[in-house]
Amino acid sequence: MQGLIFAIIAVVFAPVAGGLLAGLDRRVTAWMQSRQGPPIMQAIYDAAKLFGKEKLVVNRWQILCAWVYLIAAAMSVGLFFAQADLLIIFFVQAAGAVFLVMGALSARSPYSQIGAQRELIQILTYEPMLILVFVSMYLVVGSFNVSDILAYESPLIAKLPLMFIVLGYALTIKLRKSPFDFSTSHHGHQELVKGVLTEYSGPFLALIEVAHWYETVLILGVTALFWATSWYWMLLLLVCVYFAELLIDNTMARMTWRWMLRYVWGIGLALSFINFIWLYAR
Amino acid sequence: MSNLLLLLIVLPVAAGTACYFLRSGSLRTAIVTVTGAILAVASLGLLQQGAFAFQPGSFLGIGWGSIVTVLDFALLFVVLYFGFKLQNLLIKLFTVAQIALLGFFELFMVEHGAGGPALVADNLSLIMVLVISIVGSLICIFGLPYMKEHEAHLKLKKSRQPQFFLYLVLFLGAMNGLVLANNILWLYFFFEVTTFCSFMLIGHDKTDVAVRNATRALWMNSLGGLAFLVGMVWAYAQTGTLDVSAMLAAGPATGGLLVAVGFLCLAGFVKAAQLPFQSWLLGAMVAPTPVSALLHSSTMVKAGVYIVLRFAPMFRGTFVSDGIALCGAFTFLACAALAIGQSNGKKILAYSTVSNLGLIIACAGLNTPLALSAAILLIIFHAISKSLLFLCVGTIEQAIGSRDIEDMRGLFKTMPRTAAIAIVGILTMLLPPFGVLLCKWMAIEAASGHLFVVVMMALGSALTVLYWARWAGLLMGGHKIGGPSERQPLFTSFPLKLLCLGAMVFGFLAPLIYSELLAPLMSSAAMTVDNGIIATATGGFAIYPLFLLIGVASLFALNRAMRSRDVREVAPYVGGANVTDEGAFNGPMDTVVPYSASNYYLGEFFGEARLTLGANIAAVGLIVLMMGGAL
Repeated sequence: MQGLIFAIIAVVFAPVAGGLLAGLDRRVTAWMQSRQGPPIMQAIYDAAKLFGKEKLVVNRWQILCAWVYLIAAAMSVGLFFAQADLLIIFFVQAAGAVFLVMGALSARSPYSQIGAQRELIQILTYEPMLILVFVSMYLVVGSFNVSDILAYESPLIAKLPLMFIVLGYALTIKLRKSPFDFSTSHHGHQELVKGVLTEYSGPFLALIEVAHWYETVLILGVTALFWATSWYWMLLLLVCVYFAELLIDNTMARMTWRWMLRYVWGIGLALSFINFIWLYAR
Repeated sequence: MSNLLLLLIVLPVAAGTACYFLRSGSLRTAIVTVTGAILAVASLGLLQQGAFAFQPGSFLGIGWGSIVTVLDFALLFVVLYFGFKLQNLLIKLFTVAQIALLGFFELFMVEHGAGGPALVADNLSLIMVLVISIVGSLICIFGLPYMKEHEAHLKLKKSRQPQFFLYLVLFLGAMNGLVLANNILWLYFFFEVTTFCSFMLIGHDKTDVAVRNATRALWMNSLGGLAFLVGMVWAYAQTGTLDVSAMLAAGPATGGLLVAVGFLCLAGFVKAAQLPFQSWLLGAMVAPTPVSALLHSSTMVKAGVYIVLRFAPMFRGTFVSDGIALCGAFTFLACAALAIGQSNGKKILAYSTVSNLGLIIACAGLNTPLALSAAILLIIFHAISKSLLFLCVGTIEQAIGSRDIEDMRGLFKTMPRTAAIAIVGILTMLLPPFGVLLCKWMAIEAASGHLFVVVMMALGSALTVLYWARWAGLLMGGHKIGGPSERQPLFTSFPLKLLCLGAMVFGFLAPLIYSELLAPLMSSAAMTVDNGIIATATGGFAIYPLFLLIGVASLFALNRAMRSRDVREVAPYVGGANVTDEGAFNGPMDTVVPYSASNYYLGEFFGEARLTLGANIAAVGLIVLMMGGAL
């Protein structure tokens, strides 16, 4: 019952937190680039404005896909705060990601088609990394349930330092930060227009924006599990991680998907193997 | 009891023979439909009766055991005849070896009294019978209008459908016999019958490529048959019994017996088209679609995984078990990667089948109650979803004349019904809360302790998402939801709809299937089931609440998509004024510029030519590792 209450609170407040974080993200980025930047609430204003726009679609599948993406993202956040099984949470999240891609593929625009293909490759890149992170948590704690991981007495990061780096790759891809932002980016003037998001517009784009905020909260939640023994350290860890993401975003150039697949799988698998062997040797 | 068994094993033989001799189309339709219905009902009846052991009496004064022996030799000589006709050295070699070994075994070694009951069913066999009899029958029924259309297309002078349905229906009987057989000689006989039926069905169209691929299927499966025979003789030499359940009851095998079990599993690998034996199943797609659907979903390849699962208690806790898990997981990963490089719809399905069978075999190798439950559940869910997808591709191919997924772009516009069913079929293969994903979840949780197995499962699972999502996405599109519908013959739409419903609903029944049928099979409880909430030692899957939530959410999303008012549908953005509604824009100098985009097939990473050789070599290495573990 307590889990259900947590879940409902999380589903209600996660978009607000995600939206504010997106605003903060833009402010800090602006600060790094010696600009003033928009107000913290800007991301939320933008979404609110989108909700009021005309409903333009290429076909109605997009409406379905946008809604499913949002619902799956919200549900995965709910499940996370209800302290369910990590793999299930992940699979529900993945279902949403798949629908985002399918909606983009349903429109015959080359921009959204290629954006969708690239998004799929991004999913292909981060998915195994996330599963391995969850498996490593299981190897330490002996359970996939968030509740058991939270109850573990020492911070996981001490035993899984390399898996934390692996999670960092997944986080960077999932947050659509450079050098991994080629399915879409924050700016609509790249070679693919808005890539996978090109054909979503108006209220449906707003749904996707909100879903993205949910996903940000989810993945930061997973990050928080690495130091769940103390609120203070958890918060510090999150702030550091997000700041590192911004730093990476602002200092890296976009690379190609070939590079991403080779690099992330190569490094990610190597790090996972080493960290797993440490655990087995223990 | 004996009547039900007669219906399940002998009726398909009789019905197949009737199809062959009564050449009228309407009679054939009646026979196949009625046989299918009877099989489905009989399989449910058998389930109702539960586990049993049965020794059939005699037929016209001759014991059934002798009849099986005679038929066995007859079948081997028929295969040998085809070996000479096709002038294939490998078929001749493997078949002669089988005849010699079986002859030696029958004449000098075996004591037929040691057989035990010839037919025994536990819940695993009963589940297999259900899958074979229900899914298989639906495919046969789908085949009726399909083959009519198929032959109209080929403009044959004399219909070859009688022969086609003979083998198609016979196949179901042979499979039922295989999963119920307890005397290992019977098991071997039915194993060989499925090999022969699949050979005849793959070569049905008699084109050069069909004959070539059928020949390959025959020699590979003859090799599998030989491996089975070697394993069988060796096991008899060690245990002195032909009774499979007696062998299983003796507990984990050691020494020489373990080698025998290794050979039996190798036979299962060949039949389940595991790497490096995948090529026969890939070649099998030249056959008419009902054949592919049957081979890939409810019969043939499932016989392979059944053998491995059946003998799982004998290699529990040995290195062979770990070897099998590695082989299976590697096939899961490699075939998922190979599927990405394909644009041929049937080939994607074929690689996906092999990949899923790999997952089942990996679970059998992990050999924990959780893993074995995952394997058996996956057999059910995979059979339903995969047969559905094959039938969809067959329907689409007959309508658009291509099986390339690029040609299916926006198919929803012209074939809304089939496309929607295909999309649902694909989603049931990959998304929660449907059954296949449930099994994948169980498999990963069961594999968490095995470093290499779990890494391969994680990578394979991500690769799987890629090839399914892109296919489902491109089927969408087109303009109107609820536009003019498409016409399907009754015998096409009935199997499609029923399988589609089954694919969606069966995930919901998973907790029930586990607690009613699987739990009694396991040595210890794999998980607890409480009000549809599955809890394992390591995690949990709240199936019913999730089903409810996702169901309500999907209905809501569908409602928004179909009923939203004031939605304006416009052409996509292409960086210029659209000329027609799709496909071209007004470019510079007022010229019309057509555009198109297609999928990434990532050939440089996942191309067939690039991966196959290396994957086969690695797979051979793993099989050697597995067999070596038995020594």
